Amino acid sequence: MDSSEPLQDLKHQAHTEDQWQRLSPIAILYFAVGFLRGIFGNVVYLLPALAFSYSSLQKHPYIWLPTITLLISLMFIVAVWSFQVYRFRFSENNVEIRSGIFSKKQLNLPFERIQNVKLEQPIYYRLTGFACLQLDTAGSAKQEAKLVALPLELAEQLKQQILSHKSEPTEANQHEIENNGTNNSTNSVHEQLLNQRSLSDLVIHGITSNRVWIILGGLAPFYDNIAEKLNQTLNSLGIDLKELFNLETHAVWQVTLFALSLTMLVMMLMLSFSILGSIVSFYGYTLSKSANRYIRRSGLLTKHEVSMPLSRLQLVMQKQDWLDVLLKRINLKLEQSNAQLDHASPSAVSNKILVPSITPLQSKALIDDLYPDNQLFNIGFMPISGFYLVRTIGYFLLPIWVLLESFVLYHHNIKVAGVLVGLFAVFSGLFYLRWRRWGVAFDEQYVYLRRGLIGIDYVCFPTYKVQQSQFKQSVMMKKHQLASVKLILASGSVTAPLLPQDVAYKLINHCLYKVESSKISWM
Amino acid sequence: MSETLFSNDNLSAATPEQLAMIQQLDLQTLSEKYAPLNLQINILSTLLITLLGVLVYLQPWLSLPQTLMLYLPLGLSLFTLLGLGFCGLAYIADKRKRYALRELDLHFSSGLIFQKVLSQPITRIQHIELKRGPLERYKGLASLQVFSAGGAMHTFELPGLTLDTAEHIRQLILQHKDLAQHG
Repeated sequence: MDSSEPLQDLKHQAHTEDQWQRLSPIAILYFAVGFLRGIFGNVVYLLPALAFSYSSLQKHPYIWLPTITLLISLMFIVAVWSFQVYRFRFSENNVEIRSGIFSKKQLNLPFERIQNVKLEQPIYYRLTGFACLQLDTAGSAKQEAKLVALPLELAEQLKQQILSHKSEPTEANQHEIENNGTNNSTNSVHEQLLNQRSLSDLVIHGITSNRVWIILGGLAPFYDNIAEKLNQTLNSLGIDLKELFNLETHAVWQVTLFALSLTMLVMMLMLSFSILGSIVSFYGYTLSKSANRYIRRSGLLTKHEVSMPLSRLQLVMQKQDWLDVLLKRINLKLEQSNAQLDHASPSAVSNKILVPSITPLQSKALIDDLYPDNQLFNIGFMPISGFYLVRTIGYFLLPIWVLLESFVLYHHNIKVAGVLVGLFAVFSGLFYLRWRRWGVAFDEQYVYLRRGLIGIDYVCFPTYKVQQSQFKQSVMMKKHQLASVKLILASGSVTAPLLPQDVAYKLINHCLYKVESSKISWM
Repeated sequence: MSETLFSNDNLSAATPEQLAMIQQLDLQTLSEKYAPLNLQINILSTLLITLLGVLVYLQPWLSLPQTLMLYLPLGLSLFTLLGLGFCGLAYIADKRKRYALRELDLHFSSGLIFQKVLSQPITRIQHIELKRGPLERYKGLASLQVFSAGGAMHTFELPGLTLDTAEHIRQLILQHKDLAQHG
């Protein structure tokens, strides 16, 4: 208790005197980085202009110097100015922030509206012991607040205070507050570590997660340049690509081998990027539990901390792609309300708690911890109707294939026709797998969904989390006594297509009944 | 405890869960003015586009590419025919839209080929909006938009209600005990 006394003072000060507080000067650094990030984020839009002025740049190479000087001084001015105008204060259950250089913003955020509190520690804050406190609301992204530079321990305390604050002090909540109160003093002792990811796990995650393609997509405009550069570099090393790939001087197998090894090289490079990305975002990953709250901490450069009360959890999803199947790993996603995703704010993405590349046993243990007495892995799933195959293969795939095949055969192109037969078989197989995987089940407390292609994904959520339901039936489906069900949750929607009509009705009626009779708040 | 208190519409049925059956909704029609108004708007906008096309074809000032002039009459008549056909379909679909109000939830059924029934429990409503465009105001109609945490993509909308009905439903929802509890 002794050690926290000066902090209490500081907090007390922030509390009682309704004085506007200033940030610590370290925040200037934060604003400067934010400015740089803004510039680089918009560099895509500036590219055409840059390309246009490239020729004039070549004439006056020293124009870079004033440009950079200008940029740096601008950055400095913006950062210092932002710091100068930034003020914040706390009252009993309110946080207020004033900021903005040109457009002045004043934000007033009652604690009860705060949905999520995140602690963020960029690398340049770690030495000085500061942190950013990000406050998310259930509403729009405009209402998001970020306290840019607080001493780490003050930030921790504020987080505790905000999280233990409840909108309605009903009996149950009061109880919880008391629990929290007792926990607060011995907080670090009571935090229970649920999961931890080692470096090798993160490497596996880097391999299986396809973030490579994002990088590939981002590089797309530069492919030509890269190819040219590569060619030049190789040329200077005495390797001539054009010569290597020349069919007149080399045998076909040689050229194929070159192409193959080149592709492998590129793939390896991409793979290492992916692994790097995984390590940067998940380094030192821990998932722990304190009272009813789940806390995720990770990050190599910027340490992120996401804290989520169990009541805010909307849905658990266990995802397994084909690569995960080979490595026997699983990604577990704990999804919260998604309202902010509409605004594409970057913080909304980290609203999900992802547990990367865990083993099936660990995943089951976690799901059991989150949702006790769930039957996700021993309940019998109701399969969707075989009409799915008629619809996908019969109405969609077959007509296209017949058309293409007859066209190709008309031109006597037997080779292509063979390839088409193979493709048809592969796609039919995939549709078949998808059909086999898709199923739905529900019991007294939870709704379960199984789906996937090669790997199998499992979804589980408490029935009372449903926001809205949709029953859908085409004329054709009615004839076959089938119907599709869509359940809309705060984190997104879940679909079970082509169920027997009575099952569809039963599922929706059950969900509506649970939502309306339980009286449990969804958040 | 709450299960014994649970009621949704009709109290004479056997178990609480059987009470909440969406296959036995007491469906209400929308305002009689809604489908004709929509039909008029659709036909008028189709004809307006056709008229614009005709004007482009007949105007003497600009010389347009030969191929465009060649295919314009054909395309335009095709567009008008299809457009009017869709107007007719939309009219039939509008005629078929129904809604139902129960003690604890709202329902909206629509669709011609794909029949849909949307259900919105009142406890999950976050806020309501009454929307009235100029033409709706002229005809004394209103649309009721109901927002839940499901997001903007899943806004529950009851179109073509008479103003009285819309305001009545809004009052019912606003005074609902489930909503009052959650603020």
